[in-house]
Amino acid sequence: MTTETLSETAAAAPKFSIRTVLHNAGIGLALLALIVFFSLFTEHFLTPNNITNILTQITINLVLAVGMTFVILIGGIDLSVGSVMAFAAVVAGKAITLPGFGPAEAIALAVVAATLTGVFCGFLNGAISAYWSLPSFIITLGMLNIARGAALQVSEAQTIYSFPFAFEEFGSAMIYGVPVVFLVALVLVFIAWFVLNFTVFGRLIYGIGNNEEAVRLAGHSVARYKIAAFTICGLTAGIAAVVYMARLNISSPIAGIGFELNAIAAVIIGGTSLSGGRGSVIGTLLGAFIIGVLANGLILIGLSDFMRQMITGVVIIVAVILDYYRAKYAAK
Amino acid sequence: MKLLKIAVAAATGLALLGGTALADDKPVVGLIMKSLANEFFQNMMVGAEEHQKRRGDYELKAVGMQNETDFESQINAVENFITQGVDAIVVAPADSRAMVRPLKKAMEAGIVVVNFDVALDEEAKKQQGVELAFVGPDNRGGAKLAGDALGKKLGEGGNVVIIEGNPGADNATQRRLGFEDSVAEYKLDLLDSRTAHWETEEANQVFATMLTAHPDIQGVMAANDSMAIGVVKALESAGRTDIEVVGFDNIPAVGPMIEDGRMLATVDQFGTDMAANAIDMALDVVSTGEQLQGWVKTPIELVTAK
Repeated sequence: MTTETLSETAAAAPKFSIRTVLHNAGIGLALLALIVFFSLFTEHFLTPNNITNILTQITINLVLAVGMTFVILIGGIDLSVGSVMAFAAVVAGKAITLPGFGPAEAIALAVVAATLTGVFCGFLNGAISAYWSLPSFIITLGMLNIARGAALQVSEAQTIYSFPFAFEEFGSAMIYGVPVVFLVALVLVFIAWFVLNFTVFGRLIYGIGNNEEAVRLAGHSVARYKIAAFTICGLTAGIAAVVYMARLNISSPIAGIGFELNAIAAVIIGGTSLSGGRGSVIGTLLGAFIIGVLANGLILIGLSDFMRQMITGVVIIVAVILDYYRAKYAAK
Repeated sequence: MKLLKIAVAAATGLALLGGTALADDKPVVGLIMKSLANEFFQNMMVGAEEHQKRRGDYELKAVGMQNETDFESQINAVENFITQGVDAIVVAPADSRAMVRPLKKAMEAGIVVVNFDVALDEEAKKQQGVELAFVGPDNRGGAKLAGDALGKKLGEGGNVVIIEGNPGADNATQRRLGFEDSVAEYKLDLLDSRTAHWETEEANQVFATMLTAHPDIQGVMAANDSMAIGVVKALESAGRTDIEVVGFDNIPAVGPMIEDGRMLATVDQFGTDMAANAIDMALDVVSTGEQLQGWVKTPIELVTAK
């Protein structure tokens, strides 16, 4: 029984891929148009330094958005990632500044602390919303407050600083002008892409987003996969915390306010449907680029902060409208 | 579970702060702070609590806000304090206009009100017919101290940018005006001015992009130290050591940066003592009945490498 459904799900995969390719081509074209526009109208946009800047600037959002893609694909939402990132950063900041450790141990300890904190919060989000079948919107809204409060409590609202030098090195390291932290994010995108497209787990994530009941009737534990999706999202928040710390060399309990909205925006602009079941992490990658390119290019053009905020809002709405038409034509 | 406990404990703590009966006849001071998520106000609160223990001749009830823009909770706090019949309210207003009316109500109820940290709006006070002194630092003057340090270092015609705080926040506006005063006085060239919402990561991104647009930047004025840290990090990644950065607040994390020259200066407005000093003044008014007048300026100091 189980194997039959699995092969059915797998059979549905190629159709998805073609649609996915079309989706991504559209977003890719939009990104390309933005890049052409900014290269024409600003003199510094396509310089190597600025490209490095953009890659650095989108890294945290991209890492968060990869995890968010899993959650949105199952038809959920995670509003807590910004706060969880701050909480993870503060716990890791406390760990890394513990006396009596060498730099290598301290860094390892911090990475473990950050990822475990993220995983723990994500697991709670998933377990609570799955066990009681509650909307993840409200559970993660609760977690947004819990994690932010916990971050402030643990740090006593103080910025934690003085991390080992090697950690800072990692945060600013480059390979051929590409920030190492961005490569970390790319590896995450690749892993997520592989998992979502070529594993049973990944196909079931899509399956749950499309038709939860069918997956349940096929004998799968929907709850377990939901918990997994939220745990992955928590994990990426923990990884984002490590990136934040390495880049800025501080842990601030007020870090990441509103980051969840940017991550959601990247996923949605990337063509993943808010109702779940449709979309891809490659789209998310492109979505993160669109947001990053826009933020960077509009400053280079010299647009005021307020106009910049308005345009970012317009782009999100336009992306969702385009998605509406894409979905409509794809259905024909 | 531990998290939940902490959250529950915090919630109960807040509820208790609002609800304890006024037992003995010591004067009661209601302290209304801004966001306790902000390091600056957190330190101020700790300073006030220590001050209460040291003096011991008054009772302190302190409330903070969830975030910088949560005006509503400050207004509620004033109303709660009126109901409880405290002797004095010492308040750092989150909004210089919205707080005037509730504070007027408190004064009419015979409560001594001391306004510190951010001054209430003069126009709004006039409209409501409120006379109230202000105890606090000169944010504009402080920012000008930092801006002047930068101006002296760069000399006439230096290219500078400003990283602003939250648009619409009074201290953000005052600090921007202070920086602009320095720009005018030292005939600096202001290339760009943008907000990074007081936040390190955003300042890092915004400044990195500004630096791309204007590679000839020579100096940066950041409206707080958290943002200055983000600027310093952006300079490090860009490999630029020729750009001077000034900040504001003197938080511990910038100490090492000022010592080793990554930052030129910051401004200390002695936030830890600020609430405590305002409480002292409120208690003086309660005991002597002599009102404060005008603007009681609290100390500010430019901090540079020794």
